[in-house]
Amino acid sequence: MKVDLTNKALHSEFRRTVEALSGQNLGDCYQCGKCSGGCPVEPDVEVSPTRLMRLVQLGLEEEALSSDSIWHCAGCGTCNGRCPMGIDIVAIKDALRKLTKEIHYKRGSLEAWTFYQSFLDCVRKFGRLTEIGLMGGYNINSGWIMTNVKKAPWYLMRNKLGVSPHTIKRVDRLQRVFERIEEIEGK
Amino acid sequence: MKYAYYPGCSSEGSGAEYARASEAVLEALGVEIEEIDDWVCCGATPAHATSHLLAIALPAISCASAEKQSLDILTCCACCHSRLKQVNQQVKDDPKLRAKISEIIEEDYQGNLNVLHITEVLAREVGLEAIRAHVRKPLTGLKVACYYGCLMSRMPEALMTDKSEYPMLLDNLMEAIGAEPLDWPYKTECCGAALTLTRTKTVIRLCADILEMAKENGADALVVACPLCQANLDIYQAEAEKLKGERFSIPVIYFVQLMGLAMELDPKRICLDKLVVDPFPILAQKGFVDGAVYL
Repeated sequence: MKVDLTNKALHSEFRRTVEALSGQNLGDCYQCGKCSGGCPVEPDVEVSPTRLMRLVQLGLEEEALSSDSIWHCAGCGTCNGRCPMGIDIVAIKDALRKLTKEIHYKRGSLEAWTFYQSFLDCVRKFGRLTEIGLMGGYNINSGWIMTNVKKAPWYLMRNKLGVSPHTIKRVDRLQRVFERIEEIEGK
Repeated sequence: MKYAYYPGCSSEGSGAEYARASEAVLEALGVEIEEIDDWVCCGATPAHATSHLLAIALPAISCASAEKQSLDILTCCACCHSRLKQVNQQVKDDPKLRAKISEIIEEDYQGNLNVLHITEVLAREVGLEAIRAHVRKPLTGLKVACYYGCLMSRMPEALMTDKSEYPMLLDNLMEAIGAEPLDWPYKTECCGAALTLTRTKTVIRLCADILEMAKENGADALVVACPLCQANLDIYQAEAEKLKGERFSIPVIYFVQLMGLAMELDPKRICLDKLVVDPFPILAQKGFVDGAVYL
């Protein structure tokens, strides 16, 4: 891959946006590789956390936003804990996810978005999460109908599946909270 | 000693035994808990991955409710604890954010309380001495690999209460009830967490590594304090065994369940029968349970 290292590339609009959204300074990263060394999903992704940081530094928007690693991240925070510069790398990945407008089927963004959406839909409706609500929503909307269905009997046998949703008392207030945030951040 | 109790969503589903056992142990040790009035889900990963404000507002609703009760928060779930504690600090440090969030959640919220994980309350507030005094059946000879996972050990540095790469809170608690905590290297490796639904293969690979390492170190059981770690390591153990081509049969037990066992609390309240990998064979072999009582 040919990389543009001019001053212009290092001051891209894209980099500024990511910095604003995450509250982090990309210039702090000197590519030591400690984040990738500790990353539990690094063996399963094409773009390691260190490379992802470099892509953003150089303003390579398309490469960064279409990378599989932002969807494969478990959010464990090992990268944050080990970064010698104290960069919140998880916040940078959160920012990149928010900037992704296209759904990259092969990259896993469809599954990730469906999971987030099913989870938050359930919380929005009831105030709390139920596993049945989450899994039902996910399996139907992602098209992966059989995800974890095999595991359900184990849970049912041990009476461990939260089946009936417990609705909180002030669910109307919660609706207003969600609405207000959508107004501020956009849907 | 009294706390505002945040049970978290898993307490009503897959992590019910963790909540029940925690409540039993706290009660036996004289820690009073009062459930936070009308608490809501902390939002976990889906909230902070998609919306900055939602990730703060959801925990803030429950924290504001606890503030009204004038109590510090106690929670058992590692994820809820991490979210609540970080939000509480952010709101406390940033007056602008405080005003904005208070307006969004229609409630005055200052961020003035403490958010504690149950391991901190037990090991530090109740104290190891007091726990030792309550042990009626020490779990002598039970080799346990204490597994902390990510969210207990990777808070921002200012909020950490234990060493991030080699924590000891669980080990100390296990020692207090007579078990033998192992010195092993995977205490804080990640189990794959919320990738369970979206990237199951990754979760199985990570869990297999953790289980294999525990077995190599001679662990009789893995001891956990996070409902998601427990679910991944327990539910996917069969797949992990297939991947590695060996039998593990390592029960993944919540630390409070073992505490309850050592303190001889009501077996119905410590719910050892809810685990997928059966813990009774090893516990019976060591002489801690009379198989007949449980089965």
